[in-house]
Amino acid sequence: MATTTASVSISSSDLTPGTSLNINASTTCMKAGLTTGLEKIEMGKNILTTANGTTSLKLATAAGADGAGKVYLCNNATDDTFYIRLDLHDTIVGRLYAGDWLFLPWSQNDTDNELVIQAFGGSCPYEYAIFKEDETIVAGS
Amino acid sequence: MATINASVSISSDIMSYPVRINKTMTMKKAGSCHGLEETTGLGYKKYTATTQVTLLDVSAETAAVNKASKVYIRNTGSDKSQYFIITLADAADNTEEVGRLYGGDWLLMPWEAASADHDIMVQPSTAEPMTLEYIAFIDPS
Repeated sequence: MATTTASVSISSSDLTPGTSLNINASTTCMKAGLTTGLEKIEMGKNILTTANGTTSLKLATAAGADGAGKVYLCNNATDDTFYIRLDLHDTIVGRLYAGDWLFLPWSQNDTDNELVIQAFGGSCPYEYAIFKEDETIVAGS
Repeated sequence: MATINASVSISSDIMSYPVRINKTMTMKKAGSCHGLEETTGLGYKKYTATTQVTLLDVSAETAAVNKASKVYIRNTGSDKSQYFIITLADAADNTEEVGRLYGGDWLLMPWEAASADHDIMVQPSTAEPMTLEYIAFIDPS
């Protein structure tokens, strides 16, 4: 069984006067409802240009439905005004400005739940990793 | 201006070689070098029903449209068979499922907060008591 561990630390000493913020969490990424770890991964690095328009980062598949997949995405641009917008199908999740990253669950509750990215402002180098359960492999043509 | 840092560390042995991801971001306002300054504060909510409810209401949190707000949510439980379904309300006021947070799972994602019906909603998988830890970092710029 593979073991994938994801930890986060959020801290600020000056967000709230007189109180430090410290959040620490860690999880082992398991298959949906099970105590066996995720065993598949897809990762990569690319450059998203504004000319690319909306780009599919990952399609949802029926075989992956209601799973416990996890998505990591980071915008490695250095210009503060450049951002990548992440959509789930036709719903906007949010913007990753230069240096921002996200880590979220992705359950592919239906096949209209694809991950879509789009660059704004300028070209955005990005990296991603998707830890996932089974999926349908697209047949060759 | 506040400084909020968030670090992610992911390790996995899914591949035949170790996968290591480490990244730190400083949460900034949209298109700016200035840090986020507002937060909902760290909150906890206990649920004892499987009804879908709003966790973060766009209008209540005064999150500005199309900015760089971010949300952290964690299922504080340890049971990997129990989960929260995290959804976003889309423009038609339907919901687009993001994913499922099983026991111990967490997410950190940008929040577009594009309109009054872009709320973050949660639905427990069981009526047994389950608790969420959450905080939003708001960009009202």
